[in-house]
Amino acid sequence: MRSKLSRIKYSDAFWAFLLLLPNLLGFLVFTVFPVIASFVLSFTEWDLLTPMKFAGAQNYVNLAHDQTFWKVLWNTVYFTVGTVPVGIALSLLLAAALNQKIRGVKLFRAMYFLPVISSTVAVAIVWQWMYNPEFGLLNYILSLFGIQGPLWLTSTRWAMPAVIITSIWKGLGFNMLLFLAGLQGIDPQFYEAARIDGASAFAQFRHITVPLLAPTTFFVTVMSIISSFQVFDQVHVMTAGGPARSTSVLVHYLYQNAFQYFKMGYASAIAYVLFIIVFIATMLQFRGRKATYWSLY
Amino acid sequence: METESVQRGLRIFEEQNPGIKVEYIPVGGDEYHTRLLTMMAGNAAPDVFFINTEGYYRNFARRGVLLELNDYFYQALKLEDFIPMDQDKMLVDGKIYGTSSCVVAPVLYYNKDLFDKAGLPYPPSNPEEAWTWDEFLEIAKQLTIEENGRVVQWGVYGFENMHPREAAIYSNNGLIFSEDYSQVAMNAEAQEALTKILELRTVHKVSPPATFLEQSGMNAAQMLQTGRVAMVADGSWALQELARMGFPVGVGVLPIMQRPVTTGTAHLHSIWAGTKHPEEAWKLVEFLSSEEYQIDLVREGLWMPNRTHMYAEENRGRWINPEVHPEGFEGIADYFANYVEPNPAIFVPREAWDIFEEELDRFFLDNQPLDKVVQDMIRRIDPILK
Repeated sequence: MRSKLSRIKYSDAFWAFLLLLPNLLGFLVFTVFPVIASFVLSFTEWDLLTPMKFAGAQNYVNLAHDQTFWKVLWNTVYFTVGTVPVGIALSLLLAAALNQKIRGVKLFRAMYFLPVISSTVAVAIVWQWMYNPEFGLLNYILSLFGIQGPLWLTSTRWAMPAVIITSIWKGLGFNMLLFLAGLQGIDPQFYEAARIDGASAFAQFRHITVPLLAPTTFFVTVMSIISSFQVFDQVHVMTAGGPARSTSVLVHYLYQNAFQYFKMGYASAIAYVLFIIVFIATMLQFRGRKATYWSLY
Repeated sequence: METESVQRGLRIFEEQNPGIKVEYIPVGGDEYHTRLLTMMAGNAAPDVFFINTEGYYRNFARRGVLLELNDYFYQALKLEDFIPMDQDKMLVDGKIYGTSSCVVAPVLYYNKDLFDKAGLPYPPSNPEEAWTWDEFLEIAKQLTIEENGRVVQWGVYGFENMHPREAAIYSNNGLIFSEDYSQVAMNAEAQEALTKILELRTVHKVSPPATFLEQSGMNAAQMLQTGRVAMVADGSWALQELARMGFPVGVGVLPIMQRPVTTGTAHLHSIWAGTKHPEEAWKLVEFLSSEEYQIDLVREGLWMPNRTHMYAEENRGRWINPEVHPEGFEGIADYFANYVEPNPAIFVPREAWDIFEEELDRFFLDNQPLDKVVQDMIRRIDPILK
């Protein structure tokens, strides 16, 4: 008995497990269990209130025939294609600019980071003002160039670009911060050597910054794609998916099905389709990573 | 403001019922029904709760989570004491699962100064004297003022929005759904009404670009106050805000296409089927339906009474409040007593109504032809209603 206790006392694995337990329990209860449960739910018909009915693959079959589902899937892809490349390019440029030794650089960094920590609701309301067709700042600026601005949030064509612009603006600071960290990890010797060899600023950026930043860029790209497939807040607050569902995205439709249409099983099926898309997108990026990584040098 | 009134009401209830303590949980906005749904699923719902009739009340009732109130209700109250639209609102397949506190329905607000300046008569408040659509359009044209090629004052705003829109369809004898709500109707009269609404903006140019008021940071009430719009079709609840804005606001009945009508709605109070205290819960629901409870919010302009006796000539003085309700409000009382019909959104699932709204967006905002939009409504909504 005594020896058994002392064995436990000196077992690293036991203590490690014990100390990890709170976290593991939380992960099991709040992540693993819901993930499995929603997978099971996606094969049922359930309204949360009355007993669940097994539905086989019916939810997935219905999804394939659901016009609204294809529309919101398309909107989600549109949103991702609209936000991710531009967002990454802008935040990289911004990071490069704010990595210089200029006066007040910390103030600028803080300013660009501010939207990230601002509440989405407040941000959405301010942008609603900016997008106002008659009094808004955006159309005022456009009018200075003689352009008649669109109706933005009330136009089925322009509402999504409006949401995309706001999302890029809001996410810029976060990606900038990651890029800044990456930039500061690049040894200044490389730039020094390049300058001695007479490389231009652009050549330095192209042949030193971009390749050495590739791991950060990869991380930022993966995270941006995942989060833009999961976009919800901006859409929910700015347009509620309208007009005519032109800004409704997968998670928005999922939310509506779960809590407004009483279709928990169907919502779970949407969640799993979303999961599969994100999973495949991420796998493809990991595959493509090695090839691009080396070609950049 | 509603929260304060509820708290005041609950204090009175607790004083009258010393054995019962009410714990009040205010939850705002869109999250409300989500929260209620999850509390019920978790078997921990409140005994008594507010519930929206549009999209939720019937859905909850048919899933057996609301206590059926027929015995309690008929012992304490009479169905025919409620105005007819409220009876329809409460009844689900002949049974009652929730009790009403009030009625709300769209009316026509106007800024008296703008009418005086133009020397035009005010919109009538007596439903018998309501303007025809053409008379209304003529006035709206005269109230639309252009300066240097820019409209500085619009004639009217609000008919493209939910509630005034349904009222106009009904006024033209249009039907949105079949009588039993099993399929989309959208008959010629309904389509004609929607076309006339669209033409206010596109042909006659008396109404500002669609829905942009909402996004201007000014709401319709502020547009009316600042004289940017002369008339606004909006819910009766808006009077609470309008009456405090310090400008001469008037309330008229909606213009008629074929017949005078407005389409009403409003929440109910229900009891959770899993309650351990049905007797006490009913006492509270009954109190929340009483004249004593609703009259404060009626006098503030947020609600309209739901009981027929409150509309009787001799009782109107109890709730028509000269500080809030403009001159001629007697006519509006007649309007609510005799011409309110339930908004069809009360009787169909939320999913069906969302598609209806989505398709109407395509008509109002996307220049899609109405017959195509109606075909799509039928194709997409009918399977949900079956």
